[in-house]
Amino acid sequence: MIRLEEVTKRYGETLAVDRLSLEVGEGEVCVLIGPSGCGKTTTLRMINRLIEPTSGRIMVGDRDITSVTPEELRRGLGYAIQSVGLFPHLTVAENIVTVPKLLGWEASRMQARVGELLSLVGLDATSYRGKYPRELSGGEAQRVGVARALAADPPVLLMDEPFGAVDPLNRERLQGEFARIQKELHKTVVFVTHDVDEAIRLADRIALMRDGRLQQYDTPENLLDHPASKFVHDFMGADRALKRLGRVRVDAVMRSEVPRISDGSDAVAAAQRAACTAERFSYLVDQDGRLEGWIDCRLLDRGGSAESAITHVDWRATTVRPDTSLKEALSHMLELGFRSIAVTDETGRLLGDVALAGIETTLTEGDAYSAGGPAEGGAQ
Amino acid sequence: MGVQSASVDRQRPRRRTDRVAATGAILALAGCVALPLYALRANRIVNGTPLSLGAGGPAAWMLLALAIAAATASFSLAGKLRARVELACAVGMMGALLWALGFAAAHLAPDVTSPARVSIGAGAWVAVAGAAVVWFAAVHARPGRAWRVGALVALVVVVVAAAMWGGLGRLSIVLEYAVQGAAFWSAVWTHIALAGTSLGFAVAIGVPLGVASSRIPWVRTAVLSIVGVMQTVPSLALLGLLVVPLAALGLPGIGPLPAIIALTVYALLPIVRNTYVGLTQVDPSVVDAGRGMGMSRWQLLTRVEAPLAMPLLLEGVRAAAVMIIGIAAVVAFIGNGTLGVLVILGWGGQVDDLTLLGAVPMVLIAVAADVGLRAAGRLVTSPGIRMEVS
Ligand SMILES: Nc1ncnc2c1ncn2[C@@H]1O[C@H](COP(=O)(O)OP(=O)(O)O)[C@@H](O)[C@H]1O
Ligand SMILES: [Mg+2]
Repeated sequence: MIRLEEVTKRYGETLAVDRLSLEVGEGEVCVLIGPSGCGKTTTLRMINRLIEPTSGRIMVGDRDITSVTPEELRRGLGYAIQSVGLFPHLTVAENIVTVPKLLGWEASRMQARVGELLSLVGLDATSYRGKYPRELSGGEAQRVGVARALAADPPVLLMDEPFGAVDPLNRERLQGEFARIQKELHKTVVFVTHDVDEAIRLADRIALMRDGRLQQYDTPENLLDHPASKFVHDFMGADRALKRLGRVRVDAVMRSEVPRISDGSDAVAAAQRAACTAERFSYLVDQDGRLEGWIDCRLLDRGGSAESAITHVDWRATTVRPDTSLKEALSHMLELGFRSIAVTDETGRLLGDVALAGIETTLTEGDAYSAGGPAEGGAQ
Repeated sequence: MGVQSASVDRQRPRRRTDRVAATGAILALAGCVALPLYALRANRIVNGTPLSLGAGGPAAWMLLALAIAAATASFSLAGKLRARVELACAVGMMGALLWALGFAAAHLAPDVTSPARVSIGAGAWVAVAGAAVVWFAAVHARPGRAWRVGALVALVVVVVAAAMWGGLGRLSIVLEYAVQGAAFWSAVWTHIALAGTSLGFAVAIGVPLGVASSRIPWVRTAVLSIVGVMQTVPSLALLGLLVVPLAALGLPGIGPLPAIIALTVYALLPIVRNTYVGLTQVDPSVVDAGRGMGMSRWQLLTRVEAPLAMPLLLEGVRAAAVMIIGIAAVVAFIGNGTLGVLVILGWGGQVDDLTLLGAVPMVLIAVAADVGLRAAGRLVTSPGIRMEVS
């Protein structure tokens, strides 16, 4: 889909990009990573001709990008950047339809598209349409930025550290949403980051650069397991086993058949029923299936009161979502001191749980982690 | 929101004096008490003798009472209520002053045939200034939109009423107007036409120069320094200097042409500079995003950069307009019949009323341009980039 052939960009004496050759397959996420100043941004901006290469050739689809005007080329390539660059004088809706407007879409089609895109990026369409960028938080602005990049449904997305300026919690969430959207839309994505965890989580292939040169271009697994050089090895970091967990989603190892008790009216009765199950813990849920806490059956068996055996929790603080990475789930568990952690949906409804033991299995089973990767079937 | 209301709560027990309004109210009070509001003159050109406050009849005492009320409100009230009371006092003071002037004029110079005149005294100007300060302070304290608009409407009603029934027609400046008649209106229109035409030219030349300056470095250096230097030439000197090149072209050195050239030159700097600053202060990431999504340079300029630069650009136009409305008085020296002519003639003949007949409308035109262009600025500014959402 995208092919760079011996592309070089020279600024006076400095070689920003040096004879870079790279091929990104259709529907693949290629993450450009490397130390600051290694030429990631320059590479990305050469693809949509915001920067003209000194030499070499770039193909998008089967066209040389110089065969069309830069404006025409760019309208077919979604573009999202770290600073977002939303137009402050336009509403969220007007921002989103920037490219459709340039392409001359009909008003009704653009209206409908705004609604689709806002719900795709997880924002309530009716309340966000008319807002102005200054009324948005960093994470919301970034979501709108992604929606704007996707507006005209371009086959290719170019993203330069799109989540770089967002706080860690929001970044984690945005990454999860990006993975979900990508699974749905199968765009060809070139994604720049300097965050190794982000690269491992989102990439089908990682292009690791240094001083304008490509060091290794491979799947995250191979970069972790078979680094081509000491530089690659060092850059990817020492905690490789842990890093791999970043590629696996919670739902890949989640146990959905968990003992659960609907609290109903009488907590004591519920607790007594819990005593019958073979497991030590039973989850306590309300009528809607929302997690309320759990019951320790061992305490019940020892004759403790039902009240003392029940732990009430706020699901927001003690659970993970199905699209959370195992790495994140593990760090949550360690933080809370649990040997397992409940998985709920966005509204707190219990879906299952993940145990420390399950994560260990994933770590030792070499092939397990590609099953739940963000782009199923995209990577080998 | 929470922080704001917390700080308001904290202020409530310890009321802060509205110092600006208090200053205005005291100024108005001083105008009433320490200086003559009106003067009586035996004829058009002799100096007047000050009249006492009471010559204005009941309205004069009301003016005094309202000034005291405004001062009291600024010390003892707070919040929206204070703003509204102050606003009402300000309008009331202006109205009362007009009626007091009219009363004095109608009673002391009632005879159309007599040469005696009642003219506006120094105290009246001070009182008007004081009332205006109170008004400004009140509007600043957010009395609400309805009150802001209502006060303006009330003022217009009071002025019209005073003109029709309040005896203002016997005031010396109005008598002077009656004497000047057509000459006055011709001066007003010449003034507006010269300033307006020049402003149009300045926008037509200045905006493209500002755009070019923001794109091309050498243009910026050249344009901004040339326009800046021209700005420093005193206006009379510029009119003198223009004679030479115009003569070389066989064009007259007096009349509307050099006037329009000079006024355009002066209006250029704020317009060019604000266009340039407005465009260069646009966030580079916004421009990058626009380019990256496939906007052409022209689309980027018209759809993104221009709307973002517009508030600042219009601010430049406003500053230029107010400035050249002032300078348009000076071009009277090279044979243009602007309001400056009335001022100059008034000085020459020592007819203060004639001078005022030139000066007061000039101020009003400048204020109107200022208010109008500010309103236009708000109208074209997207709510997304407005400084304060009201
Ligand atoms: N406009 C420019 N002029 C000169 N040097 C540049 C310019 N843009 C980038 N460079 C240089 O090119 C190199 C690569 O930059 P960049 O692609 O922005 O790096 P990265 O995005 O990987 O941090 C850096 O050494 C940078 O200093
Ligand atoms: Mg960069």
